[in-house]
Amino acid sequence: MRRKTYFWGFLFLILAVSLFGEEFAVGYLKAISGTAQIVRQGENLELRIGDKVFKNDVLRTGPNSSLGITFKDDTLLSLGPNSQVVVNDFAFSPAEGKLSFAARILKGTVVYLSGIIGKLAPDAARLQTPYANIGFRGTRVAVQIEGEAQHVIE
Amino acid sequence: MSSNKLRIEPRRKRRCRDADKGGRSLISHRALIVLLLCLCCWLSACAKRKGLVVLLPDPDGKTGAVTVSNKGGTETITEPGKATEIRSFDKAPKTAVAIPESEIREVFGDALDAQPPVPAHYLVYFLSNTTELDPESRETLKDVFTALKRIKPSEVSIVGHTDRVGTKERNYQLGLERARIIREIVIAEGVSEALIETISHGEDNPLIKTDDEVPEPKNRRVEIVIR
Repeated sequence: MRRKTYFWGFLFLILAVSLFGEEFAVGYLKAISGTAQIVRQGENLELRIGDKVFKNDVLRTGPNSSLGITFKDDTLLSLGPNSQVVVNDFAFSPAEGKLSFAARILKGTVVYLSGIIGKLAPDAARLQTPYANIGFRGTRVAVQIEGEAQHVIE
Repeated sequence: MSSNKLRIEPRRKRRCRDADKGGRSLISHRALIVLLLCLCCWLSACAKRKGLVVLLPDPDGKTGAVTVSNKGGTETITEPGKATEIRSFDKAPKTAVAIPESEIREVFGDALDAQPPVPAHYLVYFLSNTTELDPESRETLKDVFTALKRIKPSEVSIVGHTDRVGTKERNYQLGLERARIIREIVIAEGVSEALIETISHGEDNPLIKTDDEVPEPKNRRVEIVIR
C-alpha cells in the first residue's frame, strides 16, 4: 500500500517537473530604452538587457521608449513608443514538427523580422491586430496600429 | 408608437420656432443636419487610418511577401517599400502603394533602431573521430569572434554532431566533447558561461544522410549560433 503511494507520488512529481519544463524562455531582451515594461502574470518587471522573455508576456512601452527581442528561432521583434504587444504563441521544435509564432499588437509601432519558424513553415507565423491579421513569406515588416483597442480580431 | 409621436411633436414645433427666429427655413435646416451626419460618418468610417503595414527590405536581400487580411478582404504586398492602410476591421486593406523612406523613418524610427542584430550561424568541422578542428574551420572561428563582438550580450548555442562511424553512444559523447571544445573557446572570448547552451545530437542529425559506419566530413561538425 505504502509502495503504491510512493509510486503515485513519484509519478506526480515527474508530471509536475515535465509541465514546468514546458515554460522555457522564448527569447531574450536585446534592447530597452525609456520606460519599457514586461508584465508577467500581472506582475510588472524590472527590465535588464539579456532578460528572458516568456510566452504570454505583455510587452509595453511608454512615450519616447522602445524595446527589442531576439527569439529562439532568430525572429526579431521590436516596439516603438506607446506600444503594447503580447507574444501569445511560440513553439520551436523542428524535429517534432512543432512550429508556431503569434503576437498580438494592440497599439503602437512594431518591426518584425521572421526567423526559422517563418522560413520552415510560413503559415505558422502571424501577427494579429484589432483591424487585420498579418501573414508572411519570410520577411521583414513594419506595423502601426492607432487608437486604444482592447482586442484583436480572430 | 403613437405615444412616441406625441412626445416628439412638441419638440419639432419648438425647433421650427427656433429656426424661424434665426430667419432660416425648415428645409435648409434639415439639409444641414443631413450634411453634418454624412460628414460624421465619412470622418469616422473612412478618413482615419487605423493601421499601416509596410513591407521592408530583408537584411539578406531576398524579397518576401506580406498578406494583410480582415473581414473586408485581403491585400498582399510583394514589393519592399510598399504599404497598405487599414481603416476598419470590416473594410478591406487598401491597395498597396509605395511610401517614402522619410515617412517610414518618421513613423517607425524608434522601433527600427530597437531591432536587435540579426543572429549569426556558423559551422565548424572536425577531423575523423577527434575533437581536432579542420584547419579551414580555424578561419571560420575568426568570423565567430567578430560576431561575438557585434552581437552583445551574446546568447550562444553550441550543438555537436558526428558522422556514423562508431557506436551511437560513443558518438553522442564525441559530439558533446566537440561542443565543449568550442564552448571553452567562446568562454575565452569573454562570453558568460550562463549565456552558453551546449548540447550533442551525436550521429542522429546528419547534414548528409549516410549508411552506418560511413565516414562523412560534413557531418563531423559543431553548429554555433550567436543571438
